Amino acid sequence: MIQLNKNYSLPERLAEFIPIKIVSVGGAGLNALDRIVLDGLETADVVAINTDVHSLTSSVATRKVQLGRSVSRGLGAGGDPDVGYQAALESADEIREALADARVIFICAGLGGGTGSGAAPYIAQAAREAGALVIAFVTLPFGFEGKRRNAQAREALARFSEFAHAVVCFENDRMGDLTSPQAGIHQAFAMADMTISQSVRAIVNLIQRPGLIRIGFDDLLAALRTRNSRCVFGYGESDSDNRAHEALTQALKNPLMDRGRMLADAIHVLVQVAGGPGMTLSEVEILMQELGRHVSDQTQILFGTVVDARLGDRLSVTIISSLSAEEDASLLQTPPAPSSASAESPVRERYQAATPEPEIRTEEPIVEVTTLEETIPVEEPVATEAAPVATPPSTEPHVIPTVAWKEEKGPGEKSATPAKQEVLQFEPVTRGRFEKSEPTIIEGEDLDVPTYLRKHIKVK
Amino acid sequence: MANNNLMVGLEIGTSKICVVVGESRPDGTLKILGVGQAPSRGVRKGEIVDFETAMKCVHEAVVDAEQKSDVMIKSVYVAVAGSHLQSFNNRGCVMLPEDRDEIDEQDVEDVKINAREVSIPAQNAFLHSVIQHYQVDGQQGVLNPAGMLGQKLEADFHIIHGVRTRIQNTIRCVKELPLDVEDVVFSGLASAQVVLTQHEKDLGALVIDIGGGTTDYVLYSEGAVRQSGCLAVGGDHITNDISMGLRIPMARAEKIKTEEGSCVLGNCLPGEMILLKDDSGFAGKEIERETLNTIIHLRLREAFELLKRRLEEESYLGYLGAGIFITGGCSLLSGIDHLAADIFEIPANLTHAQAAWGVTSAVENPQFSTAIGLVKFAQVMHTDRPPRGFSRILGKLFSGKR
Repeated sequence: MIQLNKNYSLPERLAEFIPIKIVSVGGAGLNALDRIVLDGLETADVVAINTDVHSLTSSVATRKVQLGRSVSRGLGAGGDPDVGYQAALESADEIREALADARVIFICAGLGGGTGSGAAPYIAQAAREAGALVIAFVTLPFGFEGKRRNAQAREALARFSEFAHAVVCFENDRMGDLTSPQAGIHQAFAMADMTISQSVRAIVNLIQRPGLIRIGFDDLLAALRTRNSRCVFGYGESDSDNRAHEALTQALKNPLMDRGRMLADAIHVLVQVAGGPGMTLSEVEILMQELGRHVSDQTQILFGTVVDARLGDRLSVTIISSLSAEEDASLLQTPPAPSSASAESPVRERYQAATPEPEIRTEEPIVEVTTLEETIPVEEPVATEAAPVATPPSTEPHVIPTVAWKEEKGPGEKSATPAKQEVLQFEPVTRGRFEKSEPTIIEGEDLDVPTYLRKHIKVK
Repeated sequence: MANNNLMVGLEIGTSKICVVVGESRPDGTLKILGVGQAPSRGVRKGEIVDFETAMKCVHEAVVDAEQKSDVMIKSVYVAVAGSHLQSFNNRGCVMLPEDRDEIDEQDVEDVKINAREVSIPAQNAFLHSVIQHYQVDGQQGVLNPAGMLGQKLEADFHIIHGVRTRIQNTIRCVKELPLDVEDVVFSGLASAQVVLTQHEKDLGALVIDIGGGTTDYVLYSEGAVRQSGCLAVGGDHITNDISMGLRIPMARAEKIKTEEGSCVLGNCLPGEMILLKDDSGFAGKEIERETLNTIIHLRLREAFELLKRRLEEESYLGYLGAGIFITGGCSLLSGIDHLAADIFEIPANLTHAQAAWGVTSAVENPQFSTAIGLVKFAQVMHTDRPPRGFSRILGKLFSGKR
């Protein structure tokens, strides 16, 4: 099967290199960036942007941009987003220059402060105007940092979601759960940085690794696109005998994942399984079956797999998804769903059949290439108006392929079911008789929900 | 109540309300004169959620008990349960003044007060402080320190507390009837009074009272309460699981649970079916026995495992010489003792009220353990000389709260 795939896809894939830039803005962003660089990421350029010269000099980034030489005079923005914004305006040219020549730009920022909340959305706008795919990784301040700061952060987040294609939002309050209560504060922050670093690296790898079953921008966008969403992210790696199981368990252990429970509500779940040449089909099968228990039947699983010799004996799993409280029917009409569905569905079929079928194989790259090419040209005219991708106007070019795909496949159940049922998913799991009583939540489990449901044990 | 020796226990349970009238005999034994009961409505997980309805049900049960025992009920001991109840162990300490080294009653009172001077959440109130044992100048296991010589008196207490307003809801429901509330007792503690003998308490025993809405547990070691608590999972949850899993109405689920249910897996023939007869509004259905048992098994296994993890926070599980005693309505489920023994790796027995006689059919029903336990509790409170080593219950902050 591997050889077959090589014939079809590998040569052209290897040639493709997507220039990626990771831009960090503000103090918190710089911390995260340092972590990313230290963890090792050779395939992307890093740019550090801040108002505060002091923190810039200590950053390990290769390229640095100081904002607002006259506005803040080398000091920080003092927690005022206006100062941050002015500073960014002043250094607009430098920012553009730094952002040029990238097809994907990651922006890391801690919202709530001056530079993070003020300058970062502007930088996102600049990146968008430069024609790149913009993915923002932002942290929201701790609840105890005060209402004002949180309000600033929410405001900035709203602006971010206007400009960025996807916003991955980490709530510091939730990140606090990452470490034990006894752990030192530096450890807690280090964990937060590490989680961000992991997710950035995972996404970079996701895009750049030439995969057997590749995951494209469109898949990524589908998994991440929700507004004000909570990002669900998990990464696990293992090299033991039972590595498939262990890697998945580790990925699901991520607190953002809530032991996989979060996935139950997700519409799209992106999964990439990467391993050395020794990775077997049955391992992938075990892993995906296990994951299947955590997602609902309506969830689109965007599945990708990669063989990377550098991984050696290790097998890694990356799970990305997002949840949104206000996700609604409009999302179902957005471009990623159909395009990704078309990429995903053959993959899934093929996976289930577990036999290589060349005709389907060839179908998939076509879809990907078109969507890839489509994505960027489509964004460019839109970008000047700074319209978010999810708004109806930008969906038009994509609607056509949807129809085409449907015709091609016929009125399959697959295309019909998600549209009808995805909305239903947001209804919480029923608690029956205990609906109106105080929930019994012990060790993070709602005990009013039948045990067999929570343990995912099938009863007839 | 003309007779001072009459005592009434009232348990407002999730599935039924139960009133037990008992009489304390001069020889210290307890005779059950009558048992009144009524199905409970408006109670979830051991707590009242619909005040009016629950009050009516309590009234029904009290009237029933009055008729059966031919006694006019004026005051009752009430059991409380609910997930808000918490417990911990605390030690109080009193140093005697330099010029005196004989411990007197006042010092014993002081050390009790001292032990209760711990911070519990502001909205919480003490329900019980149960003496475990005293220590005089480091000498362990003193049962009655008054009159002993020593400089330092310490006392270990097991303290049970809960959210004040939620306990008061129960009291209020009874007072509206109107009945006097003599005392409120944690239902697990009440059950333990009649389920365990003194010998078993000394050996070390765990009482698990699985009722309709809650699972109460009390762990005894060396004659004293070491751990106690309430898990808001009970028979109702099993019924609910069955109802959802097999897609049958709650009433049907309850019936099939009590009549056919078992928590032992792999004990039935493959493909063995249970036929549910059709009824108005319910088309008949066939259910695989293994499925039913799996649902019950999973729920109970989880509850026991949760309990075990809680109990393992302290190291008393290894000291259960007498084993585990399971009581409460849910203990009627077949195989529950084997499941508990399997999970805790300690022998488990099904049990019911032991230390009473009279209406034997009531005494032998594990559903009445708590209510009978309340009467026993009352008896102990009334007796001036409590049996040796019996955990004396101290005065409560509750008296005069309302």
